[in-house]
Amino acid sequence: MKQNITSLEISIKDLTKRYGKIYALDTVSLDIKAGEFLTLLGPSGSGKTTLLMAIAGFNRPDSGSIKFANQEMILTPPHKREVGMVFQNYALFPHMSVFENIGFPLKLRKAPNDQIKEKVHDALKTVQLSDYANRKIDQLSGGQRQRVALARAFVFGPRILLMDEPLSALDKKLREQMQIELKQLHRKLGVTTVYVTHDQREALTMSDRIAVINEGKIEQLGTPKEIYNSPNSSFVADFIGESSFLQLNRKGDDLYFSSEKIITNKKLNKNKEWAMVIRPERLSIVNKSYRKNSSNIHFSGEISELVFQGETALALVKLMEGNFLSVRLSTKSSDDFNNLKTGNKIQLCMNRKDVIIIPH
Amino acid sequence: MIFSFKKFFYATACSTLLAGSAFADAVTVVSWGGSYGKAQDAALFTDASRDSGIAINRESGASMSKVMLQVESGAVIWDLVVTGSGGAANAAKNGALEKIDFNVVDVSNFLDNTYTDYCIGSDVFATVGAWNTEKYGEPGTPGAPNSWADFWDVEKYPGTRSLRLNNVDGVLEPAVMAMGIPPEEVYDFLSSEGGIDKAIDKIRELKPHISVYWKSGAMQAQLMKDEEVDFITGWNGRFDNAKKDGAKVGYTFNQALRDYDCFAIPKGAPNKDLAMKFLGEVSKAKYQANLPFHITYGPTNKEAYEITTAPKELIEALPSHPKNFSKMLAVSLDWYANNREVALEKYMEFLSE
Amino acid sequence: MNEKLLKSAERKEQLLLTALTIPALISVTLIIVIPVGWLFSLSFLGKSGDFSLENYQKMIVYKSYFRVFKTTFNVSFLTTIFCILLGYPLAYFLSQVPKKLVGIFMITVLLPFWTSLLVRTYAWLVLLQKKGMINNFAIDMGIWETPIKLAHNLNGTLVGMIHIMLPFMVLPLYAAMQRIDRQTMQAASNLGASPIQAFWQIFVPLSLPGVAAGSLIVFILCLGFYVTPAVLGGGKVIMVSMQITAILEDQFNWGAASALGVVLLVTTFIFLLLASRFLKLDSIMFGKH
Repeated sequence: MKQNITSLEISIKDLTKRYGKIYALDTVSLDIKAGEFLTLLGPSGSGKTTLLMAIAGFNRPDSGSIKFANQEMILTPPHKREVGMVFQNYALFPHMSVFENIGFPLKLRKAPNDQIKEKVHDALKTVQLSDYANRKIDQLSGGQRQRVALARAFVFGPRILLMDEPLSALDKKLREQMQIELKQLHRKLGVTTVYVTHDQREALTMSDRIAVINEGKIEQLGTPKEIYNSPNSSFVADFIGESSFLQLNRKGDDLYFSSEKIITNKKLNKNKEWAMVIRPERLSIVNKSYRKNSSNIHFSGEISELVFQGETALALVKLMEGNFLSVRLSTKSSDDFNNLKTGNKIQLCMNRKDVIIIPH
Repeated sequence: MIFSFKKFFYATACSTLLAGSAFADAVTVVSWGGSYGKAQDAALFTDASRDSGIAINRESGASMSKVMLQVESGAVIWDLVVTGSGGAANAAKNGALEKIDFNVVDVSNFLDNTYTDYCIGSDVFATVGAWNTEKYGEPGTPGAPNSWADFWDVEKYPGTRSLRLNNVDGVLEPAVMAMGIPPEEVYDFLSSEGGIDKAIDKIRELKPHISVYWKSGAMQAQLMKDEEVDFITGWNGRFDNAKKDGAKVGYTFNQALRDYDCFAIPKGAPNKDLAMKFLGEVSKAKYQANLPFHITYGPTNKEAYEITTAPKELIEALPSHPKNFSKMLAVSLDWYANNREVALEKYMEFLSE
Repeated sequence: MNEKLLKSAERKEQLLLTALTIPALISVTLIIVIPVGWLFSLSFLGKSGDFSLENYQKMIVYKSYFRVFKTTFNVSFLTTIFCILLGYPLAYFLSQVPKKLVGIFMITVLLPFWTSLLVRTYAWLVLLQKKGMINNFAIDMGIWETPIKLAHNLNGTLVGMIHIMLPFMVLPLYAAMQRIDRQTMQAASNLGASPIQAFWQIFVPLSLPGVAAGSLIVFILCLGFYVTPAVLGGGKVIMVSMQITAILEDQFNWGAASALGVVLLVTTFIFLLLASRFLKLDSIMFGKH
């Protein structure tokens, strides 16, 4: 496939949009690199779709700036922005065939017929729907519609591709398959992609960078690893991945959980309370031969709930201190899970490097 | 206005009950709306009912097709019905009317040709050409229209015309006379080969000037009051009453079509005998003598002209007055009995063009 | 196990469901099937009361019947076209107005529904006649000098009929436009369509089922119109229902009137059949996609 698509960087500055008294976007600034796959992640009503729609030009912000490669776009109507978009419900044209749907943007750009034909067939090949050109939209499955919507969004060579929860209507298996395909497509096209989802796993799977959005603000911007391993707020920690929170006590410049000293390199703000975030998969149950050492943090408690989930299991452990911790367990037949019962007293350990400290 | 279903329900229920009780001893008398029915109430029905002691139940919307429907379905609710002479003849031919008992109804003093075995004339009227007097002048003044030829003369009398819709009665004769055929030869002409077609051709000449077709006497009056048309065919009494209401309308009896309205009793009427008695009463001269005060239609009972207290001018304005009588063409029931159906189809065809 | 019991339970349920439709079946039979059947049989009775085709033969012999049908279809067609031209922008406006205001505007559309048809028709006569309000006003203002003929002709009839039929066009149109996904329009715009291109290439085609439904309703209702053409047509616009009345009122000819009714019914059916060939009628009528 010919690769002559140039991607553009997007620069958003102080973007604000209010609905009545509610800020859908509150002075949002965000730089999206050319060719990057950036995900806007947040719960519903967080403003992520508003931000996407502002980039597409479907809503007019109250103030701020949106630049594509240093060119101000804030006043440009949507049909002149040259961005491709995949809508949540696909928004295919039900009165047109698959071919006509995908050819629509080319026809608007007055491309000659043979060129339209070639490009549409290329696009159909890319989304693996070559045999479906003459189908009607209502003869397609959900996944096929998804691919048509995708093909239509990139067939005219937009420099920016926007996707608004494109996979939310698909079942889990298909969704996971499409995530991989979208990722591959992005690599192939190299186009700057802004992806909206409320599914943290999807965001982690696909993105180069994730912008976590809450109440009209960007809570944290970073690579999936950064976001997962060092969330900088309880919202991000809670929203992404599973986590247990343990409130920490402060003695001088040090933070303690119970009698255990938690070492941190964070600069402690005196007025803040601090908590430790523990990911369930970072905990291990220790066996009798284990010896305590200083590179690990240790907890002891009693299993209050055991849940079998297939590939893994989850144990809810009540600590001696009264807090609860979730622990992810392997379900291999040789492993702990098969020997454990509710009520068992156990010891847990975790590497100090996996400790996450957040203001609370 | 807020429509109350409750009110509607009670009103319907009450009227049904009243009507039901009235059937037992009251004669249901059905006439037409507008100034005609009002005139009959004032001159004939109220007084005749009082004098004879026969209670009546007055309704409006008389129509021979409804009578025939009632007779056909065996659910006759009307006792005495007003109709045109032609309509009565047609209904009688179809066996929908009771035969008149001339022992009860005295017609010894009636004008010629104002009753048959099935109906008794109530009044003599004329189908005239009436015009907007502001445009064409008062009747009888120099230059005013005076014949059907004038009705057709759109150069001398430019303006709009109106003819009858969906009914051929009184439509063809004016056209024939407008062709210059004398009144006494009109029906011979129409009966001759192609006569009806020639008459309709003559009407077709006028078609571009016909702005509206009328459907009822009330509509004739309304069209003249609204000055919607300048020259119209219609029934003389309606125009006189419209004039009383302020319409600028006048007409001539010259070449007018003389006809009569009548009472008939539907076959199997619930109060047939009582209706016959009431018909005998209402046909008496003493009631008919009052008719001219309310509408300029002439009594059918000759005695009425002798006893009426109406002034001379009023009597002379009646279509049945000898002075007017001779200028007019009597409508031929025979001709209509034989030719109405074909004439109507052809006229309807003309209307649909 | 329990096979027989379950089967009989199912049969009972079906019987009950069938029984529930009986009142509907009876009323349909009483109100539609019997009268139409009676009408049909009457049309084959001649003057003498025996079986005869004379009522139908007459329709071929006299051109007036054909012309009346032509007028009926012509008037219905024109009314439908004008209803589309007026109703489409109106429905579009309604579909774009904020939800809160739709109710208010809808009332203005529906208001004619709640007024008597006769009253509305005579109101138009008062407005349109030679010395009516419109002519008087225009002459007073010097817009034109002599009265213009607005009523007692085809124009007057159309004005009255369009006014009465407009809600029947606007409602299905509005419903169809409501069903159009707003994102579809956004998608068009995103793909490079200007608002005008998006309207003509996406919105209009997607609203066509509404146009078809509205047109069908309006057209078929128009075929049976009586009062409005009778009052505003001045005898120059003769539609089938008027011809039927004329035949009954003045000829007492039930057979001929029934024959006309039967022909109108049959032509309407043929029209519906043709329409169903080209349009997906069930999807229009029952709102399926």
